[in-house]
Amino acid sequence: MTSAQENDSARSLTARQAGLVGCHSCGRVHPMGTPRCSRCGAELHSRMPGSLQKVWAWLFAGIVVYVPANIYPMLLTTSFGATTENTIIGGAVELMHYGSYGVALIVFVASVMIPVGKFLAIGYLALVVDPGSRLGGRLRHGQDLHGRQRLFEVVEFIGRWSMIDVFVVAILSALVQLDFAATINPGIAAVSFSLSVAFTMLAALSFDPRLIWDAEQDLN
Amino acid sequence: MSSDNPPPAAGQSSGQSSGPTPAQMRIDPPKRSFWRNLSLVWLVPILALIVSLGIAWQTYAERGVTVEISFLNASGVRPGETTIRYRDVVIGAVEDVRFTSDLARVLVTASIDRDLANTLPADAQFWVVQPEVSARGITGLSTVLSGVYIEASFTPQADGEARTFVGMDSAPLAREGQQGTRITLRTRDANRISEGAPILFHGIEVGHIEAPRLILSGDSVVFDAFIMAPHDRRLTTATRFWDTSGFTVSLGTGGLSLNVGNLAALVTGGIAFDTIFSGGAPLNSGYVFDLFPDENAARQSLFTGVGANAVEMAIEFEGSVNGLAVGSPVRFRGLRVGEVRAIGAVLVDEGRRQGVRLRTTVALDPQALGLPVEAGAERTIDFLRDAVAEGLRAQLATSSLFTAALVIELAELPEAAPATIEQREDGMIVLPSVISDLPDFTATAEGVLERINALPVEDLMNQAITLMASIEAVVSSEGTRQAPDAALALIEDIRALVGGEDTQALPGELRGGLAEVRGIVEELRLRGAVDRLVTVLDSADTIAANAAAASGEIPALVDELRALVARANGVEIEELARAATRLVDSTDRLIGSDEMRELPPALAAALAEVSQVLAALREGEAIENVNRTLASTRSAAESVAQAMESLPDLSQRLERLVAQADGLIAAYGARSDFNTEAMQVMREFRDTARAVTQLARAIERNPNSLLIGR
Repeated sequence: MTSAQENDSARSLTARQAGLVGCHSCGRVHPMGTPRCSRCGAELHSRMPGSLQKVWAWLFAGIVVYVPANIYPMLLTTSFGATTENTIIGGAVELMHYGSYGVALIVFVASVMIPVGKFLAIGYLALVVDPGSRLGGRLRHGQDLHGRQRLFEVVEFIGRWSMIDVFVVAILSALVQLDFAATINPGIAAVSFSLSVAFTMLAALSFDPRLIWDAEQDLN
Repeated sequence: MSSDNPPPAAGQSSGQSSGPTPAQMRIDPPKRSFWRNLSLVWLVPILALIVSLGIAWQTYAERGVTVEISFLNASGVRPGETTIRYRDVVIGAVEDVRFTSDLARVLVTASIDRDLANTLPADAQFWVVQPEVSARGITGLSTVLSGVYIEASFTPQADGEARTFVGMDSAPLAREGQQGTRITLRTRDANRISEGAPILFHGIEVGHIEAPRLILSGDSVVFDAFIMAPHDRRLTTATRFWDTSGFTVSLGTGGLSLNVGNLAALVTGGIAFDTIFSGGAPLNSGYVFDLFPDENAARQSLFTGVGANAVEMAIEFEGSVNGLAVGSPVRFRGLRVGEVRAIGAVLVDEGRRQGVRLRTTVALDPQALGLPVEAGAERTIDFLRDAVAEGLRAQLATSSLFTAALVIELAELPEAAPATIEQREDGMIVLPSVISDLPDFTATAEGVLERINALPVEDLMNQAITLMASIEAVVSSEGTRQAPDAALALIEDIRALVGGEDTQALPGELRGGLAEVRGIVEELRLRGAVDRLVTVLDSADTIAANAAAASGEIPALVDELRALVARANGVEIEELARAATRLVDSTDRLIGSDEMRELPPALAAALAEVSQVLAALREGEAIENVNRTLASTRSAAESVAQAMESLPDLSQRLERLVAQADGLIAAYGARSDFNTEAMQVMREFRDTARAVTQLARAIERNPNSLLIGR
């Protein structure tokens, strides 16, 4: 963002500019065009082929399954013959009604804010790094490439922690099987939610962060 | 697209190094088609989309149909938790509970499975199942923990469009789809019957009743009852229902009988039914039956069709109708053919003055009279007109000997004064009546008893006691006391005289005298009490046998009889015995005293008196009296024995009589003290007489011995 950095990056030479390609698995550098790593045999790509397309596909799948995750009940609590169904939002609201604002906040953040933030973040990154996208071009005002990199790192890091809800449901359904007195079963939303998390993680995984830095070259 | 195509960076760099070169041809790699470019990963979102849409569709397809059920109160119904069940399978859930606009009822909005909702008929029943503890068991126990649920009951219908229902306040007795017949029972008093009470057929529960309710127009209680399917075939118009609630205790000739129904019937009441007679017609749902208070009443209610084709007539009576009540039976040759509907008085013109007659309105059942079922009033009146011409008359009769209740008897009296069926101005058809002879019979029975009571048994006793007392008085009188001394002295003299040699000639005459005495005694024995006592005993036996026959069934009476006998023994017999004993004692003293020698002239008088008594006894005045009394007692007993069969309640009086008679007999009986004592007295008198005779002979022979002492 500062001019000094920009100058730095403008001056730096990328592997691609140098006609080289690094192996993904072992890191050995090969000349461009080499199909396979001479050391470990992995396929060599200067950029991951179809990366953005995969990101979009996974992201889309994640959003699709996130809808039933919120509509359908997450927990089926059967106590003395009476069954209660709780959706994610409904559970958070109920917790708030009972005065557990802290827990409600945790549930809300973990189950709503983080997934939605991830969708937005991945979508933003995928748009921004795609030079052919007009919408991406409009978003691309400030070329804060480091910020994008940091955003990507956060998304990738946080992905594994989005499963809190699913863990809770899984543990409760395994433990609370007291027959007539109380039984907790996972609802459809639990499956949907875990799929959604998995899909967004895959989306983040499919994203090739090198694309972020290609913009630097385009600037030049 | 940029990622896959390596930019011509290498070429640029090489061009820089080798100076100007012809512009390198820009070679684009063959553009891969959009579809070739497409990653397989896209299958994932497509699949996810399909699955999500599938789930959404399934949810949409399975989503419940919203129905509204209104309840009077919705105790325990909670939105989201209360389920709706059909045959105990959850088919929906309550979504909302609110009030109707006028707050009169509770509207429960529920969603019900689409498949089932489309078969809901408009008359589907919904009720809230709650735990309930009753005499018939505990129901809905599971709802204690899980909360109430709403049970639905309906007969599935192909295109059920109903969406609003009226919920029931309690579970219906008969589930929809349960086969059976619904009938109505009518009774006057339902305080032993409660809702849900079982209906029993030979002890098997075949149905229930619903809550009793008062009918608006009258004072009777009706309730609907449901008889389950295979058993409702037993219902005909000839079926009678009766109340088996609680238990019955009856005291009859068979002893005490306690009749207890099943436990549920004991607590909640119960109803039993049976088809009393054959020939009943099959019936439709809603047929009204009368509920009889007990099985006997039901079985005796052969009177059918009251209200259907009964013919109302009037009967006017001149005497009192005390004992006749509304509902009293009308009998014809002992068969119930109708009942009394009303009793009232009417003014009747009798010549110049008006008289009051008692008019009884009766309903006669043509069927019971033997007329065909379809016979109407005309036919019945024709039939009765003919019968009246041949002597049919109405008269009052007692229904039983033990009660004062009267019944109307249609008696056939061919010799009755001619009469016809009259039609009064008020349209009432009047059946002729005759004055009942019933009161005479009662009078006769009472007369018999009065006569028995009036028998002079007490007088007899008193006379006997007086006789004894006078004997005692004679014996214990001062003159008599002195007599023994003189008599003893005399006897001493006589002994001396007899022991003397000049008295040796006496034995022949003495023998003659003894023979005479023996003859007297023999005669006394022949004519005396023995035979008559035997007769008395025989008749007493007869009485006792009759009494035993009569009292065989009533052991309590025997006790009373014993008490009475004891009383009789305690009073008359003891007094008699005491008197007799006193007499004998006095006689003993008289005879045992030393001063017998001084025989006063009073002895002769006393002996004469005694012999008079004995003569009187011998001539049988007293015994005749007794015999007469006993004979009349026996005839009375025989008539009582005849009456006994139909008059068990009179037996108590008879027992009293028998006790008195028995006491009397015992007083004169062979085993009684009196008898033996009297015999002893007689023996002593015989000895005395013998001694007196000897003395007389001796004096006759030797008069001076009186003076000289030898």
